[in-house]
Amino acid sequence: MKDMKNEQRYFDKVILITGASRGIGRAISIYLLKNGANVIGFSKGEPTISNKKYYHYSVDIRDIKKIKKAFFEISKKFKTIDIVINNAAVTTSQYAILTSAEKAYEMVCTNLLGTFFVSRESAKIMLKAKSGRIINISSIAARAEPIGASIYAATKTAITTIANVMAKELSNFNITCNTLGISAFQTDMLNQLPQEKRDEYIKSLAISRYANEDDIFNVIDFFASERSSYITAQTIFLGGIH
Amino acid sequence: MIEKEIEQLIMEALNELNDEFPDDEKIIISSDTILFGKDTQIDSLSLVSLIVNIESKLCSILDRDLSLTDDRAMRRSESPFLNVQTLKNYILEIVG
Repeated sequence: MKDMKNEQRYFDKVILITGASRGIGRAISIYLLKNGANVIGFSKGEPTISNKKYYHYSVDIRDIKKIKKAFFEISKKFKTIDIVINNAAVTTSQYAILTSAEKAYEMVCTNLLGTFFVSRESAKIMLKAKSGRIINISSIAARAEPIGASIYAATKTAITTIANVMAKELSNFNITCNTLGISAFQTDMLNQLPQEKRDEYIKSLAISRYANEDDIFNVIDFFASERSSYITAQTIFLGGIH
Repeated sequence: MIEKEIEQLIMEALNELNDEFPDDEKIIISSDTILFGKDTQIDSLSLVSLIVNIESKLCSILDRDLSLTDDRAMRRSESPFLNVQTLKNYILEIVG
């Protein structure tokens, strides 16, 4: 009889993912759980996943005090964090001149500073283990720079820069930092955009279709793999955007 | 926490850092060891690792979250990370 545990790619790995309750974050969390991981999920609201290896923290990643409190609790529960997936993000599709200050701050604080704070606190734990993988989830918008996405695209470009700089700072500790640029994927967030804008996205790709879950899991697996210890400060965009 | 305990904790973290270095690169550890600046034997990444380790030990002993690298530390004209003594005094100040 085959040993099922050995077949699970993430068996007993501790993986933190932000924005775990909805959309891509939820799909990735379920995939990781199916593959044997202990998943620590951050989201503003209540958990939407029920699994004995799922540990939910209601954390607004705009709030550094709440992040630090959660990490303090995590450090008592787990010896280390093996992988961090910075997925949480908010968006709004609006011309720059019509974008409210409130929405702009929300995007910068969640998408950019939230990613930075979670990476920073995770890196402190990973430093001690001298091992870790930080994966930032970016977007096709960072390259396509579409109308209506000035702040969102800027934040998604910025998290690539954060990953690349942290890759240099953390390389001596065997911590890699990479970015996955997701093309259009059917989520609540994407559905906030008008249909014509979504069609535009798809047309701009070398492979003109929506991303599916497995396209995303494939790149996560690649960055997270122990064999990828020499892969850092890299960005992979799905669908052939360039 | 008393002064002696804090110094002991810093020494423990320095010893752990030393374990990482080859014999000919080990730091001379004493209460006067210089941690930061031109006369230190510790490179910047090792200092980061040392401070994170001390911070983690403190959180564990005190069972509460604290940060050694927040704005309070960074705003000072004299860095609290200059040597073992300045670091010990800074920790004493923030743990109360």
